[in-house]
Formats: sequence, structure tokens, C-alpha cells
Amino acid sequence: MKYFGGCDVGSTYTKAVILDENGNMVADTTIKSKINSEQSAIAAMDDVLAKVGLKSSKDLEYLIGTGYGRNKVPFADENISEISCHAMGVHVTNPNVKAIIDIGGQDVKGISIDTDGTVKNFAMNDKCAAGTGRFFEAMARSFELSLPEFSKLSLTAKNVIPITAQCTVFAESEVITLVGEGKPMDEIAAGIEMAVAKRCFVMAKKAGATDSITLTGGCAKNDGLKEAIEHVLKLKVVNLKTDPQLMGALGAAEYARQKGLAKK
Amino acid sequence: MKDLKHLIYFENLLQEANNDLVKQAKAEGKRAIGYTCYFMPEVLLDLPGCFSARLRAPRCTSPDIATYYLSGRVCHYARSLMERALEGGYNFLDAQMATETCTATCRFQEHLQQKHLDSVEDMRIIDNDDFFCEFTDIPFKNNENSYQHFETQLRAHVLEPLHEHFGIDISDDAIRQAVEEHNEVCRLINEIGDYRKLDNPTITGYEFHVIQLVSLVCPKYLILPYLRETAEEMKTREPDTRKNFRCKVVLAGSENDDPDFTKLIEGCGALVVCDRFCYGAVESRVPIVLEEGKSPLRCIAEHYLKTSNCPRFMPQDEMRARKKRLADLAKEYNADGVIIASNKFCEYWSYERVIDTFILQRDFGLPVCSIEKEYINSASGQLRTRFQAFVESVEIKHIQEGK
Repeated sequence: MKYFGGCDVGSTYTKAVILDENGNMVADTTIKSKINSEQSAIAAMDDVLAKVGLKSSKDLEYLIGTGYGRNKVPFADENISEISCHAMGVHVTNPNVKAIIDIGGQDVKGISIDTDGTVKNFAMNDKCAAGTGRFFEAMARSFELSLPEFSKLSLTAKNVIPITAQCTVFAESEVITLVGEGKPMDEIAAGIEMAVAKRCFVMAKKAGATDSITLTGGCAKNDGLKEAIEHVLKLKVVNLKTDPQLMGALGAAEYARQKGLAKK
Repeated sequence: MKDLKHLIYFENLLQEANNDLVKQAKAEGKRAIGYTCYFMPEVLLDLPGCFSARLRAPRCTSPDIATYYLSGRVCHYARSLMERALEGGYNFLDAQMATETCTATCRFQEHLQQKHLDSVEDMRIIDNDDFFCEFTDIPFKNNENSYQHFETQLRAHVLEPLHEHFGIDISDDAIRQAVEEHNEVCRLINEIGDYRKLDNPTITGYEFHVIQLVSLVCPKYLILPYLRETAEEMKTREPDTRKNFRCKVVLAGSENDDPDFTKLIEGCGALVVCDRFCYGAVESRVPIVLEEGKSPLRCIAEHYLKTSNCPRFMPQDEMRARKKRLADLAKEYNADGVIIASNKFCEYWSYERVIDTFILQRDFGLPVCSIEKEYINSASGQLRTRFQAFVESVEIKHIQEGK
């Protein structure tokens, strides 16, 4: 059996996926990224290779790096932007999905997908990390909650307290002020989710997304955010059967499979 | 490709506004005249006895002090210039020829005109006793009245002050001489730039950007020998046997004097074959034609108003013509798409960029990557992702179209 790999070195998590020649996902892993992208890629690849009994990345037919550390993946045959890889990952998971909101550790992207899984259009935030995974980490820290606890907090809110600042530093100050004023924590959390959802709305619209949208990236697991996005977009977000955080690595592996098979 | 003989020298000239050639010209007794905008005819600042220096603030990091004087919502370019002025980087200037064009650079130059910060005598911005700053009003329309007005403005606020302060010869003969030198620079830059139109270009966008910039920031008579030699060298330069780009793009947008930005784009696989931005060559290197029966000054006034593609011109027909011009450039330079990059808070390009992004795709079928950037780019990781994704989407389109 021939195997094909995709390694998505993100700013917060590194993900790796191995596909067989029929496109079946035979192994995957998600690890916390290290300060050194190459070390992150090595650790993730070692983990995923061991699951299929391979010794080294050299044993793969084709390997593609993606994510912010995409050019640091050892033995990668090439690298492809995470925008293209997320589109392909979602396409092979559910071809009916036509748009993605990808919320990673340091950026937010809106991507619309063509019928063959390639990118039709995309929009991405500039260098500011407002409304990204880093933002949620800072907010959860302000609440003294874990991320999973924080993501569920807003679901119980009866009202939404608007948060005006999206800058991580200013929002943290605003949240601390609101908590100090004795405002309900769940309603503040709902305000935070809504602020980010509105930013996602802009990215999705800029990318030309109209219907059949899904969420990818680590923040896709945030239930409160998902609900807020559904509220602002006025439609139901499609749930993927595969971990949405793996979509970049899966797309990279699928590209590796297509290119590896075409090479012969 | 074999390295261009003078490229490293040119790169070094771009490290400081007061570069080696500027210092040489000053040592020879020439007056250094700064400016920021295309609408200040550089040719008039290159009259015998003085030379033009289009201002840049290379390697500026965080313009904190300038932000106090200008505000955080003024574009990063204007603030970076102000910061560099406060650091003493423009003390070599004998005069600044300011233009009433974009508000941000106007405000920077208003500070130069005041000479002192906070009205404190010791806090001189430009530490040069001879220094003065003069403003020229630039018309918003292309018509007879505008040409007449612009000519009058140039005489009153550029030529006469240069003569009064420094005894510069502002006769028609002196202007003709400056035009002749200016046109040679244009001819050489265009000759070098035309190699970007080849199927496999023998010059990169980065190299051309560097060459175009040195022609703007160095005294013309001193940079000309290097340009002539480079143009000669280009005649026999062989391209790499294997194309090392994945698509070709036109780079359009607001002020851009950062060759590393072009390098970043090219590092993602998009060869920049045309530069339609402030500091680019598309407009600034159109030779000036001196017509019979018109004064040289009048011809110059008309030239700069007629050749500009600046978005400060708002008439509908001109706005439409600018979109078509970009599409025509893409065709002329065999580009596969357009990257439009404007500086954050840019008064004119913030709007133009959004409209261009929409119109070029809808009406001309051109793929467009739209970027809002800062003067010096620190967010290279995110930009790299966007440019790479753009290149990939252009490639896919080619495959789908069977190219």
C-alpha cells in the first residue's frame, strides 16, 4: 500500500494526516506547536507515521506541508497554502459544502470552494490577531476558565452584552471592567462570541460565501461561536464528520495523493 | 540569471535618504530638494545647480514620535517620513517642495514648514539654516484652466523660490536641459523595464523596483552612468533556463518604495512584471514632450496632469479609464493577474483599491489579490499565505482554461 502525507504546522497546533492511495484517512494527529516549526513538524510526523508502521517521512510517496510553518516540514515534496488545503480538505469530507470560515490561532479566513475543491475566492484578516484563537485564549484566561468551558459558557446566556473592542489587549480590559461591574459572565461571553462572529461574517461575505458554510480550524470546536455565527449569517453551519481542526492537513494529504499518483 | 553588476550598489543607495550619491552632489555644491509626490515635477528640481530626492524612510520601524504629532490614523508612510525627519535623516535637504495632494503627506510637510517642533527654537526638524518648505497647489481636473493654474503655481512656488533662495537658473534653456536629462533617465528605465514583457523575463520585479527607486532618490547626473551601464548589460543577459515563477502579476496601488515587498510577492511565485503604484515607473518614466509654441514650463504642467493615474482625480470617465488602463497594462505585460496593495489609511487608494478589486474581476476577468499593508511590512507570514494562495488559484484557473 502507498501512503501520502499532509502536515499542517499552525501557530498553535500542528496537525498531520496520512491517506492511503484510495483516499482513506489511515492516521492523524494533533499536537501543540513548539516554538520551532521544524520541531513541531517532526514531532507530528513521527507520531502519525508510527500509527501506520512507517519509520520516516521518506517512506511516504508524497508529502505536502501547509500552515504557517509549511516551508519547514522536513522531507516535504512541496508546500501549499493552508487556504487551498482547507478548501480541499473540506471538499473531500463533504463535497456539498461551498464555503469555509477558518479560524486559526492567529488569523481568520473566509474561503469559497469551487466544484473541484479548489479555491474560488478568499479573504483573510491582516496582521492583527483580533477575533482569532489567540483572542479566545486571552478571553478564557480573563474568565479563569479552560477553552472548552469558555466555549460553552455563552450558550446559557439570555442576553448579549456587546463588546466594543476586538483588540485582544483592549477587549481584556473591557471584559475585566464588565466583570468588575457584576455583569453576568455568560452574557459577557456571549458578547465576545458575537463580536468574533461579526468579524467572521465580514470574511465570509468578502470571500463570496452565500450558503452551505462550515467552520474549520481549532475554533470550530467552540460551540458558542458556532451558534453566534449561525445567528449573524442566518443559516445553519454544516457539521463535518471529520475533526474540523484536521482540514488543512487532510487537504494537504489529498493534494499529496493526487500529485503522488499523477507522478507515476 | 547572472547577478546585475550594480545591484548591490543600488541596494546600498536605498539604505538611507542621504546616500553616497546625495552626499557627493552636496559636496559638489548642489542643492538637495526633497519631494514626496508624483505631482511635484522632479524635472524642475533637477535644474542645473540642484537635484531632486524623493523622500523615503527605509528601515523605519515604529513611528512613535511622529504619531504624537500626526495621529495614529494618518498613513504609516507619512508618519514614517516624519519620524525619519525627527531622527535627523533629512538634514541634508535644502528645501522641500510640498504638494497639496494627499492630506497625510501634506500634514508631514506642514510640520517641515513650521521648522520647529512645539514652537521651541532648539527643536528644529530639519537642522539646516538654509532649509525652507514651499507648497504647490495641484489641480483636481484635467482641463485648460488646470494647466494654466498648475503652470502659475509651479512658477510661483517652485521656480521662483529656487532662484531667490539659491540663485538657480530657471530660464527656459535651463528647463530644456533638465528635460533632456530627465528623458534619458526615462528612456533607460523603460528600456530596462521592457525586458519584463518577455515570455521568460530577463529581469525580476525586485531588481527593476530597486533600479526605478535609485532613479528617484539619487541625483540624475550621478546615477545616469550606472543606468546606462545596466541597460547595456541587460542586452546580453540570459534568463534562467527553467522559469522560476508560477505566474506574472501587475502590482498596483498606493505609495510603495519597499523592494522587499516586491521580493516577498516574487518569493511566493508571482513575478511582478509591471509597477503601477506611486514610486512606480508606469507614469513617472513617460518622457516629457516639449511642444513647439508652448513654454517648457507649460508643457511640463500639462505632462504631469495628463500622465497621472492618481485616484485623486474623481470624474467618472477618469475613474473608468483607470480601470481600463490597469487591464491594458496586464495585457501589455502578459500578466495573469493584479495585486492591488494600498497603505492603511491611504486617503485615495483605500477607496480605489476596493473598487478596482471588484471591477477588474467583473468587467475584465482578471484575478485580483487585494491587500491593505503598512509602509514597512512586518506581517510577512500572513502576506505570504495570501500571495501563495493567490498564485495557486491563478494556476488552477490556467489548468481549467487549458493554458
